[in-house]
Amino acid sequence: MEAQKVDMFIMTNAKYFESYQINAIRERLIAMDDSRWAMISSIQLKDPTTSLIVSILAGHFGIDRFILGDTGLGIAKLLTCGGLGIWTIIDWFLIMGATREKNMQKIQQLLY
Amino acid sequence: MSRNRLYVLLSTACIAGYIWLAVNYHQQVVQSQALGICIFKRLTGIPCPSCGTTRSVIAIVKGNLNGGIYWNPFGFLITGILIISPLWIAYDLLTRNSTLQKAYLKAELLLKRKWVAIPLILLVILNWIWNISKGL
Repeated sequence: MEAQKVDMFIMTNAKYFESYQINAIRERLIAMDDSRWAMISSIQLKDPTTSLIVSILAGHFGIDRFILGDTGLGIAKLLTCGGLGIWTIIDWFLIMGATREKNMQKIQQLLY
Repeated sequence: MSRNRLYVLLSTACIAGYIWLAVNYHQQVVQSQALGICIFKRLTGIPCPSCGTTRSVIAIVKGNLNGGIYWNPFGFLITGILIISPLWIAYDLLTRNSTLQKAYLKAELLLKRKWVAIPLILLVILNWIWNISKGL
């Protein structure tokens, strides 16, 4: 793919990934066939900031985990009062990284 | 979720659950005004959907099934998980299998379906309303 197109994609989507993953994504995109651009550019990524807000407001009920697609963890959090409140607080710090990991898993399905 | 991560998480949760039960077993805290550990209840004064689960599990362990339903029906779910998951994990570890992980992933997929998720969410909300009206 053209480097310009790829750089444009990276610039708009850098906040959805961990910084150390961005170089690998860029290289894979440049090596990729042009026909898959439509799929790559229409991918739905989750915003880490949104999940942090959800985690602070409704993390006690596990809503943040449900939104990420970790239904099992969400139910565990809901049933245990947010892990007796401890897990809720731990997740305020973990949830942004977890969102970026989920985004990486999603884009990896298209890249490889 | 990878097999080992799931099993470590689940066994940690089970151990924490058993310790929590052991700590609370002999306390006869039944009055509703007592402040529990629940942050949501401390902040707002309203019980959360899972408030009363400890009391429910303890009632079930003591053989008082009606009490279990009254305090919080979630207690039956938790009791089941606390009993079954250590046995299942032990079975998987002994036979070097991953049946629990497969079942977990299947259940996650099932729960994401709209026609399964919506009734369950409604049940949780109804249970929450009941919790608030009971004044747990």
